[in-house]
Order: sequence, then structure tokens, then C-alpha cells
Amino acid sequence: MENALGASGYTATMMALVFIVLGLGIAALFAALYLPARWKLKYRMEFLFVGLLVLMVWYADRESTAMYKQYQGEIAKAGFVDAEGEAREGDNFDRVIKVVAFQWGFAFLTDEDEISRNAAVVKPGEKVLFRIFANDVIHGFNIPAVGITAEFDPGVERDLWITAPREPGKYLIQCLNYCGVGHAQMKAWLVVEGEEA
Amino acid sequence: MASPHDTVRMGETPHWEPEDHIGTMSLKTLLFSHDYRHIAIKGMLTSIVMLGLGGLMALLFRTELAMPDIQFFDARPYMSLMTLHGMFMVFGFIIPLVVSVMYFMMPKVLGMDGLLWAKGAQWSWWTLVVAAVLLIISRPDFTWTFYPPMSLRVGGPLLGLGFLAVLLVAISEFLAGMVLLRNGLAAAKKTGWRKLPLMGWGAVSEGILLIGSTPALGLVAVFMFTDWMQWSAVYDPARGGNVMTFMFTFWFYGHPAVYLPLMPAIAVLYTLLPRYLGRPIWSYWSAVTAFSILTVLAFVVYPHHFQPAESVSGLIGRATQILTLLIFVPSTLHVFNWIATLWFDTIPASAKRAVPFKFIVASIFFLMVGGVTAYVNAQIATDSDFVHNTYFVPAHFHAMFVGFMANMAMAGVYYLYPYMTGRMYSQGLGNTHFWFWQIGIFVKVTMMYWLGYAYFPRWVVDYLPLKEWAMPQLILTGGAYLIGLGFILFVFNFMWSASRGKAATGDPWAISDDSPAAAPAPAE
Repeated sequence: MENALGASGYTATMMALVFIVLGLGIAALFAALYLPARWKLKYRMEFLFVGLLVLMVWYADRESTAMYKQYQGEIAKAGFVDAEGEAREGDNFDRVIKVVAFQWGFAFLTDEDEISRNAAVVKPGEKVLFRIFANDVIHGFNIPAVGITAEFDPGVERDLWITAPREPGKYLIQCLNYCGVGHAQMKAWLVVEGEEA
Repeated sequence: MASPHDTVRMGETPHWEPEDHIGTMSLKTLLFSHDYRHIAIKGMLTSIVMLGLGGLMALLFRTELAMPDIQFFDARPYMSLMTLHGMFMVFGFIIPLVVSVMYFMMPKVLGMDGLLWAKGAQWSWWTLVVAAVLLIISRPDFTWTFYPPMSLRVGGPLLGLGFLAVLLVAISEFLAGMVLLRNGLAAAKKTGWRKLPLMGWGAVSEGILLIGSTPALGLVAVFMFTDWMQWSAVYDPARGGNVMTFMFTFWFYGHPAVYLPLMPAIAVLYTLLPRYLGRPIWSYWSAVTAFSILTVLAFVVYPHHFQPAESVSGLIGRATQILTLLIFVPSTLHVFNWIATLWFDTIPASAKRAVPFKFIVASIFFLMVGGVTAYVNAQIATDSDFVHNTYFVPAHFHAMFVGFMANMAMAGVYYLYPYMTGRMYSQGLGNTHFWFWQIGIFVKVTMMYWLGYAYFPRWVVDYLPLKEWAMPQLILTGGAYLIGLGFILFVFNFMWSASRGKAATGDPWAISDDSPAAAPAPAE
């Protein structure tokens, strides 16, 4: 989830598995259609096959759960599991930014109470925690460059964290959940600038 | 003709004397006849009209999406087109079309004189037509999932009618479910469950899904309507309602809903494959098992549509993830069964020529293309990375809806064509339609996957001119036009061949193997 476009690691493994299974399936279909050899499969082959599928299910569940637990664990470590008090900087995050999503845009509040419409300013490589809140309708929050997307309901705060890209620049933040006619315009920027943390 | 031992578990061959039903129907017969074939034909014709309308809407907004920036439509008309596209295609085209194909085939395959409770099918059709008219009048722009409170805060004065239309859709589908379940159960009573044809299993599964899920849709539609009228505040958090109530109720219908066209399509495939190959399905019990597991899982995996919200994390989230991944098993069992059936003996030349058979093969192909990505869709971690609400989701369900179900529905319509019109379709036009569709669908689906992987957001009228977004969108629009062209060819073929096509007599799908390999070697 920390990898831009899932180009490596867990996501890549899963995508590779998808391609392998699809390739095998298509190969079997074409073989069944065009190979001159005819083959009557034994019924017990199917049990073997189901066994393989269940193994794949087990593997996917294990990997995904481990990944997500590790991700959520970072937030739990920050020490504000209940969202009663003011947002304070957790030990394990370099920066905490409050995000208010509204129809149609994002507002970013730093802990010095600086408000920015449509730009979150961070340093390269920083671990940033976003505490996202919306009052009106269901919105989404997605930063393509760091590979995170979430949907959140009005009135419920959600915490998401990212590792900011090392390359300084402007990165897209967008809403992914349809939230009314202005949905397509609901964008903001993750501005990465300054010295590496 | 299929071999006799098919009939025990595969059902009777769906074969009638080719007869011109469409040409001899008066308007009165068309609208009010309770003959199951008339009702089925009526359902197919209206579904094809809805496909035309939904497809036209798709082409309109696809044209807008072909390039970045806003060229033709503002956000609101664009969203109306997109919403109506979704509703027409799912409620109006794909579910009624596959169900109508089933209405036509079922009595014959299950060995009954006619469709039991055809009146229910009739009412179901009329309710759906009224719903379609209401939808066009109200022109909703809140997507087919109409998430509150967003959907309560948009639209014009007639928008409330949209919720009533959804209620009528729920009633229509419920009635169709009653018809299918009743017929499936009657057949099971006659033959016993162990010898129930697979179409019977399909009818029972579909009936259970429809009857079990549509009350949730009806409930949601009623409360959305009263909320919209300001009579109640069930779903609006600003007035004390709860969004999660909506999510759980709506998706309790919403997940089985995607299986509503799937089950009949699978049942039709199980009926037509033996018909073209002249041999039974490889494993009857594997098919029955897969039908049953799919029916059960359809009702319990629905929270995956709104994960990973906080309310579905923890135990529910984990259970949903595992159960969703497990859907892999029954759906792959179906595919495994079909491929094994194709493989265990030669494929007759008559099958290779038949347009419906080509559509069947394409369906199996796209079921795999759409199905495998469920593996990443189901995992919470990948879902939170790039799947949730990006184009990856429409890619997945367009591969399933268009690639599998619409292709399979077309196979059914082409198969039934001589039995409806007494004539054969034009082979050349049929083949062209086939290739236009397969290339178009493949281009469309792969480009959607690509865009999803590049985080292209769903439901946008305008997008940034990034090169990884603009180029695939342009190609995707090209693919959509190809599908549109194929559809025009299909409609032309359907109408032209009904009066000028070669007359069909005897068995239009008789199995013959006249390929050079099968012919006896010339004596020398």
C-alpha cells in the first residue's frame, strides 16, 4: 500500500498471480477448442484443483491481513484511537494533518492551525498522518502517487497515513466516491518541498 | 440432437418446430397474451430496446470522456446519462433478457407443458415498463447506487419518481423470482432433485436470489422516497439518520443483484453447450455444487462493496474478505466444468459454425478475464491501494456483465432465433456482430483495467490531461463504438432475416461433422 501503483512487493505478487491464473485458464480454453488431442479429465482432478484454489484463498487472506494490520498498527501506535481530544502529533508520525472533505474540495489544517484549501504541504519522505472528516456526504480520499484510497461516511473520522514521495513536486489528491455534480472537480495537491526529513 | 442420456440430468433438448411467432403476433397478443413464448419474446424485444437506449447513453458519455476537459456535456446531464445507463443496462436489459431467454427455454427443458404462473411474468414485465418510463421522466443523476445523503440533495422536482421507479424494479424482479422458483420447484418435484436438469437448478438458485434480495431494494426505495419527501429521516445523518443502515440494506440487494443475470446465463450455458456438442456436461454434480455455493455466498459477501470503512473492519471485514475470496471456488468450478466438457471429445463442425456457440466460447473467455481480478478486489489491502472506486471496479463488472452475461444472452437470442421467427439469421452478419463485439469488449475491458491501475476515478465528467489517462480513454471510446456498431448489425440482422432469411425447417442446430478431419479418407 505504500508503493506507488503497487509496482513492487505484495501488490505485484497478487497481480502476478492474477495474470498466471488467467493465462492458464485461457490456455486451457484454447487447448480444449483447438488441440487435436482429446482428454477426458478424471473427476478427482477437480478436488486437486479446488485444493489449489483454497490454498490461493488462504495465501491472499494471510498476506492481505498482515499488510493491513501492519498499516493500521502504525495508527494505533500514535495513541489517539479515540478521537475525543485535539489531534496531537504522534511519536511515530512526522506530521499530522487534519483534512475536512466537503462538497466539493478538501481543506487541510496543520497542527499550527494553518488552513490551506487544496494543498497539503509536506517534506520529502515524511510519514504523514491524515485525519479525515466530512460533514455532508460520503466522500473518498485517494493519493495515486502513494497508493492509498479510502471511502468515508459523514460524521465518522478516518485516519490514513502515507510516506510522502522522496521526489519534490505536486502530487494529485482526489475524491474517488461520487459525491454530487462537483465530484470531478474535487481535487487537491500534495505538495512535497523542502529538505528531506 | 443431443444424446438420450442427456435428458436425465441435462433436461430435454430445447427444440421446437421452427415457427414464426414474431411475425404472426398481433399487438394484442404481444401485450396481453399469457402464452409463455409470447411473454418471453416480449421480454427479449423490450430488453433489446433497453440495450439500445442504455448503449446510446454510454456512447454519448463515452464521447465526452474520449478527451480531457468538458466538450459536450455539463456535469449534471453527464451524470443523468451515466445513471440511466447503469439502471437501464442492469434493471432493463441484462436481467430481463437472460430471464426471458430462460422463460422461453425452461418449460421445454424441464419437460413441462408451459410456464407455470405465466401471469406473474406478465405482471413483472408491465411493472418494469412503468419503471423505465418513470426513470426517463425523473432523469436521476445520483448514480445507480444513489448513496444518501448525496442523493437526497441533488436533482429536480421529479427526482422522487426515480425512487418509485426503483421500488417498481424491486417488485418486478420479485415477481420474476416467484415464477422461476415455482417452475424450478415443480420440475424438481417431478424429476426428483437428483435428476433435476441444470436449468432447473439455475431457476431455483435464481428464484431464491431474487426473492431473498429484492425486498431489501424495495425497502431502501421506500425510505429513500420518504426521506426525499422530507417525511422521514432514515438515511440522512444531518437529520438524525444513519448512512450505514442504507449501506447494509442496499448492498444486501446489491450483491445478489450482480448474480441475478449471472445465474440464468450460467443455466443457459449449461443447456446450450450439450446441445451443440452432442454430449452431456462433464460433471453434473460439480455444477450443482457450484450453483448451491454461489447462491449461499451471494447473500453473505455484500459488505465488500463498502469496505474498508471503519464499520466493516475487524471481524466482519476479515470474514467478508475470506468469503469473497471463496467465491473464486464455485465460479471456477463452473468454468472448469465447461472447459472439461469442451475437451473430452471432438467439437463438431456444426458447432464451430454456429454463431451462438461462438458467443458461448467468448462468454467463457470473458468470465475468466473478469473473474480473476476478483482475487485482488477481494483483498482489503489491495482494495485500499488501487481498487476501491477506481476504474478497476467498472472493469471487473463490465467484463462480467458485458463479456459474460451479455454475450451469453446473445447466444440465447441467436439460438432461439429460428424458433421465434421460423427463419435463420444471416451467418455473415452474425459473424461480423460477433467479432465487433469481442474486439470491442476486449479493448474496453483491458483499457478500463489499465485506467483502474492508474487510479482513474469513477463517475467523473472531466479529468486531468495525464498521458496515462487520456490515451486509454480514447482507445476505450473506440472500443465502445465498435460494440455499438456490432449492436446495429445485430438489430439489422434480426429484422431483415425475420422476413428474408432462409426458412428454418427440422432441426436448425443438427449436429454434423463435415470437417476434413472427420471425413473418411478417400480410397486410393
